[in-house]
Amino acid sequence: MANDRSQREDYTAPLRRLLLGVVLLCLLGIFLVWRIDSPRVERFRAQVVDKVVPSMDWAMVPVTATVNLIRDFQSYQRLSDQNRELRSELRQMRAWKEAALQLEQENARLLDLNNVRLDPRLTYVTGVVMADSGSPFRQSVLLNVGARDGIVDGWATMDGIGVVGRISGVGQNTSRVILLTDASSAIPATIQPSGQTALVAGDNTAAPAIDFLENRELVRPGDRVITSGDGGVFPAGLLIGQVAQDPGGRLRVRLSADYERLEFLRVLRHHGTAPITDPGSLVTPDGPVTINQRQEEAADG
Amino acid sequence: MDSLSLSRVWMMRALYMWLALLILFFHLLPLNTLPSRWAPPDLLIALTFAWVVRRPDYVPTLSVAVVMLVADLLLQRPPGLLAALVVGARAYLRPTSAGGREVGFLSEWATVSFVLVAVAVLNRSILGITAVQQAPLWLAVIQLVLTIAIYPLVAWLSQTVCGVRKLAPSDADALGGRA
Repeated sequence: MANDRSQREDYTAPLRRLLLGVVLLCLLGIFLVWRIDSPRVERFRAQVVDKVVPSMDWAMVPVTATVNLIRDFQSYQRLSDQNRELRSELRQMRAWKEAALQLEQENARLLDLNNVRLDPRLTYVTGVVMADSGSPFRQSVLLNVGARDGIVDGWATMDGIGVVGRISGVGQNTSRVILLTDASSAIPATIQPSGQTALVAGDNTAAPAIDFLENRELVRPGDRVITSGDGGVFPAGLLIGQVAQDPGGRLRVRLSADYERLEFLRVLRHHGTAPITDPGSLVTPDGPVTINQRQEEAADG
Repeated sequence: MDSLSLSRVWMMRALYMWLALLILFFHLLPLNTLPSRWAPPDLLIALTFAWVVRRPDYVPTLSVAVVMLVADLLLQRPPGLLAALVVGARAYLRPTSAGGREVGFLSEWATVSFVLVAVAVLNRSILGITAVQQAPLWLAVIQLVLTIAIYPLVAWLSQTVCGVRKLAPSDADALGGRA
């Protein structure tokens, strides 16, 4: 018996080692291919997610709803406190509502005066959040709209109020949104009213940091941060949040979007801003003359 | 049921895959979209190691590789690296002679902790060498410590609930080369 067993081990052990070696090589090969040609593997990842996650959706929706229900139930314990808070907030909101109404009328009047035409191509697709990144190290959510709905990599995503993130990774039925809080997210932004441009860079905290600010003195906590549209990635003028200062003195953005409950997100269709390629031309009686033509004429004469 | 019968082994292999899928499922629930200050323990790796130390025939190399690769893909990790490390760790942790030596739980825990630390360090250093953007160090450390801390619970649960026990030396003889 013992002899038989040792014999069997004799031929299974090398086989097992061979299998282990092949599996290790394959996995490390996948990692290296990912490192060298990341977009192709990321597309493969998006396809895998596209296949796996929607098939779990039937279970995810009720479980998520149940957990949220339990959380809401816990919050009933603090009901009276909340009620008082809400009342005081409501009083403040009434004042704000009055101000907003006046501003809205003023804004409409001014737009009318200026004959402004809002960009008609800025339409949106609304999607439902299906899953989050599943890892504490990455901040992203998965939407139930994908290439089928015409979603394209790089489009901006908002909740009702502020920017949430950008699309990165589109499958047939799903697409991933990298949130502004993710460490790999960096969005060009303008800080109003000073007009300073900066980069809103996520660092895995609830409030992304403001980087590459030219003049710090001009920026105060409470200033509005909006997208600048630099780089042609995002449309300009979307609200991101407000400037805040952390205890270390670093400027951060308190995001306007409600990150506690991301449920329905808008994906803004963005067809790119028209690039300006030529440096301008001279208008003559014969029509516009470009700089190249003028140089040729100068060479002839 | 006889813990050595082939049908039982295949059932436990299926149970492992199913548990892994369940863990991934709970990871993916969109419950908390705010970045958190701490990282939950890596239950998937703890489960895999607890089963490997007890019954390596329930978690063959291929199923570990598939589970970890799918986890890499779904959880937005660099695909393949952590999977390769865990498969390597499986080969290291597998009892060399099935049931040959009787080790206490404390020394098992120590070995597993050592392997967990080694996997984390290797993972970070390889990511560092290949210049991949990494998670913050303190989050990774919290996750490592919590994984080590939760390991006894996972081991106890797999022993009592799932019936993944170490083999007695006599069983090991009967099992032969299948382990």
